[in-house]
Amino acid sequence: MNTMQLQEGIRDINLTYLMLAQQMIKEDRAAAIFRLGISQDLVDMIADFSPAQIVKMAASNMLLCRFRFDENVLLNMVTGYSKDRMMGQAHAAILMSDQAVEEMA
Amino acid sequence: MVKKTVVGEAQQVKIAIDLIEMGARLQLLQEETSLSRERLLKLYKEIKGESPSKGMLPYSTEWFMSWQPNIHASLFMDIYTFLIKNAGIDGVQALITAYRLYLDQVQSLEGGEPVLSITRAWFLLRFFKAEMLQLVACTECGGRFVSHTDDLHNHYVCGICHPPARAGKTKAAKQAVDAGEKVATE
Repeated sequence: MNTMQLQEGIRDINLTYLMLAQQMIKEDRAAAIFRLGISQDLVDMIADFSPAQIVKMAASNMLLCRFRFDENVLLNMVTGYSKDRMMGQAHAAILMSDQAVEEMA
Repeated sequence: MVKKTVVGEAQQVKIAIDLIEMGARLQLLQEETSLSRERLLKLYKEIKGESPSKGMLPYSTEWFMSWQPNIHASLFMDIYTFLIKNAGIDGVQALITAYRLYLDQVQSLEGGEPVLSITRAWFLLRFFKAEMLQLVACTECGGRFVSHTDDLHNHYVCGICHPPARAGKTKAAKQAVDAGEKVATE
């Protein structure tokens, strides 16, 4: 994968992420905060982005969404093999809801 | 009592519809909306096509202590607490959103049945308000789980970290496993 392809990939994900986030916020703001794991300030900011702003933001060569399974226990729960996969997921959801939201500095 | 306006009433009807579609009992609707019993009954029949079920409400904290209900109740309660803390909603709106998100989580699990009904979820919130139940952190995974307030919690370990011996071994689960093995050997 060359740099061009890499940047294109990142741009694609950013664009999809921002558009999906906007859609989610429009449909149900509170549920979007839970699913996205970001603060009210951030949610309101994203909701107000114009299409032009979204395109500009997406074009920065950095991924805009961050990895949320950033604890070992949590990661093992989702990826690890267990007899009861269903419980693993429920467990992960319980732990995730206890995590802090991503906030603006 | 909220001042009656047309918009306000429309919102109340919307809330009632959401709750009825989630399977709420009439008592819950009466408590959480300002609509009269007659209107709620009419609304209920319109949406469900039948009269609301009568009889006792599931008034017991014990139900939340058995293995599977406890996990489902904890999941719902954790989502609810998250919303109160981070999403700026409360009251019946938080109940509806939290329950919807809970259903989402459960339905994404394979063979996931929503064990916790909306009426039970509502009771759960009341038990928390009355301080009969609380969330306790598991000492192994750190997740927060529903538990009695008067229990000892020094070394609490949750039902997922240490499932009881026969946990989840229901008839349906066994049949699913058997069917899976059959396919594998064929």
